[in-house]
Amino acid sequence: MAYYLLLPLLSLLVIALQTVLADIIFLGRLAIEISFIVVIYAGFRLDLAKGALLAFVFGFVLDCMTSPVIGLFTVIYILVFLCSFILSFILDIEKIHFIALFGFLCALIKEIFVIIFYNLVLNFDTVMNIPFICLPQAIIIGLLTPLFFYLMRRLEVFFYGKPFHRTERTGDSRISAKI
Amino acid sequence: MFFFRNYKSLILVTLIFIFALIMLSYSIKYDKGEGIFRKIVLEAVAPFQSFSHFIVKSVDDSWERYVTLVGLVEKNKQLTKTIHELKAELLIYKEGYLEAKRLSTLLALRESLDYAFVAARVIAKKQTALSKTIVIDKGSFDGLKTGMPVVAPPGLVGRLINVSWNVSKVLLITDENSNVDAILHRTRVQGIFSGAGLHEGKLKYITKNQDVIRGDTIISSGMGGVFPKGLLIGQVKNVEKQNKELFLKIDVTTFVDFSKLEEVLVLVSEENEGK
Repeated sequence: MAYYLLLPLLSLLVIALQTVLADIIFLGRLAIEISFIVVIYAGFRLDLAKGALLAFVFGFVLDCMTSPVIGLFTVIYILVFLCSFILSFILDIEKIHFIALFGFLCALIKEIFVIIFYNLVLNFDTVMNIPFICLPQAIIIGLLTPLFFYLMRRLEVFFYGKPFHRTERTGDSRISAKI
Repeated sequence: MFFFRNYKSLILVTLIFIFALIMLSYSIKYDKGEGIFRKIVLEAVAPFQSFSHFIVKSVDDSWERYVTLVGLVEKNKQLTKTIHELKAELLIYKEGYLEAKRLSTLLALRESLDYAFVAARVIAKKQTALSKTIVIDKGSFDGLKTGMPVVAPPGLVGRLINVSWNVSKVLLITDENSNVDAILHRTRVQGIFSGAGLHEGKLKYITKNQDVIRGDTIISSGMGGVFPKGLLIGQVKNVEKQNKELFLKIDVTTFVDFSKLEEVLVLVSEENEGK
């Protein structure tokens, strides 16, 4: 229950943090989407329901703060979570280069999707931004994703004594539907 | 895939996704950016952003101050050096200005008198208790002779007592041995002005029945053949009538400030022959 209560607060904190970091490091020109990496991480670590809800909340908060339309990042984050969730059964997250590549591809596809959406639906002429903004941001996420996974694994070891393993992945039980 | 076995989770995820899509569709069509959720989120995130902004700004300011301080030492050295250079330069200009001012006054005095002058610079001052003299940088090669009067704005300075080839010694009117025939400008009463120390002099041999008041101007009388008539000497500072004495005791303050004397004029002839 605490997870669901703390989730909105966590999302606010993470998104505020990523905004501040982007302002400090890139002077607001590029974003450091920690929330996006959290969603990917959730796809590999959390249950379907918990992870989907996390993706929804994070996407919604990001929409409220940065997007001109509510729901765009919510939909994208849920899709990214689902991709990660499905891939978690195939990909070994211990392999850093796979995680980095997956993070990079997800980010790139997301950025391109956002630009196409803006272009087609909102008539924003942002296609020129693909090489200057989308690609650097995807590279940043690709580089930060393995680091984030590593740090989270250290935290898991610190708190639980061993890396956390989702039950579905080990095949010990069914996917949890408890909310 | 085996996660489809759990329908509850799947239904929940599907519902969330459908809800997100509906939200997106609705937002594209109707949202004007003033939704209540957007406002709530913005309000909720504002304290975090404000706090983080404060932290970042503090760190940024500290860093900037540190960077500024690193450069500040070198900059301070450079500025101090520049200040010293400028001060030296300013001093030169000030000196030039003051000299020009003095020379201008000297020139005005020269033009006011019908005499031929030789301008000279004071190169030494010997104003001890017994001797009040100055040394100037002109001598016999410049046409100077012993006994010639020396003036400086606004009045009489003294006379030449020793003339060498290139330098001369001037006995100031404040010297105890100096006597100048003088008159009171207001009453035309004649007396002898004698030196009595630095800035000070006495007007002697003025009888008690004469009208002398404080502030009376004393000028050279032109008698005695040393000093020309009409040169300013000083001002009466104090007048005392002493019962046992025949004459008044008159203390005089000279017009010329001998402590600041730098340039003087020597009167080389009684009348300016050019005029």
